[in-house]
Amino acid sequence: MRILIAEDDFASRKFMLKFLSKFGECDVTVDGMEAVDAYLMALDAQTPYDLVCLDIMMPAFDGYQALKAIRDIEQERKIPEEERAKIIMTTALNEGANVNKAFDLGCVAYAGKPIDQAKFESVLKKLELIP
Amino acid sequence: MSDDMITEGMLDMFIFETEQGLENLQNICLDSKDAGEFDEDNVNEIFRIMHTIKGASAVMMYQNIATLSHKLEDVFYFIRENQPDNVPHEELVDDVLEVSDFITNELEKIKDGLESDGDSTELIERLSTFLDKIQGNVPAETVVPVQETPLQETPRFYIAPVASDDSRFYSIFITYMKDLDMANIRAYMAVNSLKGIAEDILFTPSDIITNPESSNVVLEFGFRIALQTTEGPDRIMELVNSSAGIENIEINECTSEEFLEFCVEAETPVATAGEVLTEPVKTPTILIDSQKPQAVKEQMAKEAEAAGAEAVNTEESKKEEGTPKKAPVKRPAAKKGEAQSFISVNIKKMDLLMDLIGELVIAEATVLQNPDLKVPGLDLSNFQKSAAQLSKITSELQDAIMAMRMMPLKNTFQKMNRIVYDTSKKLGKDIELEVIGEDTEVDKNIIEHISDPLMHLIRNSVDHGIESNEERAEAGKTEKGRIILEAKNEGGQVWISVSDNGHGLNRENILAKAKSNGLLGSRSEKDLTDKEVFNFITLPGFSTKKQVTEYSGRGVGMDVVVKNIQDVGGMLDIESVQGEGSTMTMKIPLTLAIIDGIIFSVADTNFVSPTNSVAEFIRLSSDKLIVEPDGEEYVMIREEYYPLIRLNKFYHLNGAVDNIEDGIVVVLTHEDKNLAIFADKLIGEQEIVVKPIPSYIKKVNGISGCTQLGDGSISLIIDAGALVRA
Repeated sequence: MRILIAEDDFASRKFMLKFLSKFGECDVTVDGMEAVDAYLMALDAQTPYDLVCLDIMMPAFDGYQALKAIRDIEQERKIPEEERAKIIMTTALNEGANVNKAFDLGCVAYAGKPIDQAKFESVLKKLELIP
Repeated sequence: MSDDMITEGMLDMFIFETEQGLENLQNICLDSKDAGEFDEDNVNEIFRIMHTIKGASAVMMYQNIATLSHKLEDVFYFIRENQPDNVPHEELVDDVLEVSDFITNELEKIKDGLESDGDSTELIERLSTFLDKIQGNVPAETVVPVQETPLQETPRFYIAPVASDDSRFYSIFITYMKDLDMANIRAYMAVNSLKGIAEDILFTPSDIITNPESSNVVLEFGFRIALQTTEGPDRIMELVNSSAGIENIEINECTSEEFLEFCVEAETPVATAGEVLTEPVKTPTILIDSQKPQAVKEQMAKEAEAAGAEAVNTEESKKEEGTPKKAPVKRPAAKKGEAQSFISVNIKKMDLLMDLIGELVIAEATVLQNPDLKVPGLDLSNFQKSAAQLSKITSELQDAIMAMRMMPLKNTFQKMNRIVYDTSKKLGKDIELEVIGEDTEVDKNIIEHISDPLMHLIRNSVDHGIESNEERAEAGKTEKGRIILEAKNEGGQVWISVSDNGHGLNRENILAKAKSNGLLGSRSEKDLTDKEVFNFITLPGFSTKKQVTEYSGRGVGMDVVVKNIQDVGGMLDIESVQGEGSTMTMKIPLTLAIIDGIIFSVADTNFVSPTNSVAEFIRLSSDKLIVEPDGEEYVMIREEYYPLIRLNKFYHLNGAVDNIEDGIVVVLTHEDKNLAIFADKLIGEQEIVVKPIPSYIKKVNGISGCTQLGDGSISLIIDAGALVRA
């Protein structure tokens, strides 16, 4: 499995990298803009990411914008529903409005920080990303 | 501003929505219990509720709730599609209520921050057998099979954070001394020192490291940081203030929305020094969508609909009991438009508003009665006019906030319905509950306090009050056991009474018990009024019941009820006729925070008594004062004796009036008891804002709180109840 992590905070980035490395190959970006670039590059190289984890508060492009950009690209390139990347938002903004907004933009899961690793894993299982 | 001020988090929203759904569910069940079946609308409604709960709990990853509600949804799906004829209604109602109980229980765990670990498999199995059974009742060829509805159309999951999220957001504004070199590096040091505690940090100008020019920007416009952390402002200040050259630091706590806005601002490119920030910051591109989720709106619409339809509904369904084929019960068209005009507000915000208005009332009094205005010869006619206008507006403001906090007793009363149903079923008694005045409105805080005592009174009535069916037959009572729950407004108070037509209280039994507990003291049995006798049952550990049941009889209870009622400034009134039933009435003030009070002074101290507990003031001649040999004093007013308390002696105040003819006697009443207190003089009447006595003062007997008067002085609030007992 190929995983993309976008996270501007160093400590969170390191944590996500360590936590997700056991499930697959992880790439790390520090802002939303870079995440979208990385996503495009992977798509062009025919090695798209299976899982994208986006922080919301990031410089340049925030998580919502990155999420929307990725979904727009997929739409434009007519990538079938089942092959699209699973996107999980990872953020400390836990208000219902934020969560619903992210869901509406097309993420599959929303993980509040600090991240509950056991639940995160069980979501990955439900998404059939890991056995 | 604290974290709670932010709109509800995901978890709160889930709990709120689910609780609302469950409440609806219970009401439907209890309303339809007489009809003997669910009508079509009810089935649809239950199906919808379970569907919503299923969806929401799957998103929140509460698997046990999701599967259970899924199963119940299946059952109702089958009923909706096939309309089987002989559904054992009572069994179904029991099952639905049990599901609702299970989920409520899990919600409680979640609220307490525990894992929702309840095991729902047993319930699910029961529902499965039930489903099989009713499926067997329908001829096979017409059955629309229960489709395995997919658990969630598009998978969505919400992973709740590990610990309770108590991080806060701050905006920090730092200005540096104008002659400082390399301000950008200093600014970066401040950021660096905060990194250790930061969960997220952003700053502007953001190019302080790479662009030496930013030093000038920092000097000219200051340096701004947005910080998310679990630490308090003091710690932040300490960290930031460690570097030199700082002129001023401003730390403000902000909401997450403001934080997010700031982030966007922070990212607006700050180009070169000089022209920066002269144009207004662009409106942030991110707008938090504050729309309420659709589910809540629907919920409200449904509630409004239910409220309108309820009365009609039960009536009609009763009529249709006999008809064999089920015709759907017509409901009046729902007024969806009306429901949209409600908003739900966090109770903490209301409390804050209430406090602020309280402060406003005090501030108003300090301005209008300011000693500076008492200069002789001052022309105040314009001032007085404006002052009158101000007073009018503040009192309207008070009324408005009071009205906002008022909630109908409906929800509380509906819960009682369930209790009567459960308890009477278990005890095998045939009891009906009649509810009167459920639209009576009471302050939200008070509702919370009376729910438990009310539940207790209802249980008491079902368990002890009403006789078993056999006993009733023996006593020749033909009517059904009946409990009347009634609420009404009565002069600034709300009276909530629970009456039953059971056997009433037995004066002799209570007296005998009181005597054996040594409660009579020096009084003889004949001196005691019925009321005084009945009041014995409110004492701790007093129970005449020989047998303890699951619901009541342990003798803890009535004392707790009375204590709870007293906590909100109310009282319990007991009336009973042996053989015919009893009535317990809770008399509760409409509101707690702002009351009318009468102010009087003793030496240099001001006291206030709530106006409704003052019966009269009277100036007495000294021959009306009777002094007992043991020093106790009584006054005689219109041929009646009242015990007299001199506040100056009671509170050891020097310099007060001693002669009864020079001061004034204030007669206080509390729960049918009267008491005279002696004060120097009356000051006036005023609206007072009740404040608790600060915790550093020991509990003072007879004082229930304090308040600030117009001239800024503090006045103590007399608790008539405590003085009567003293």
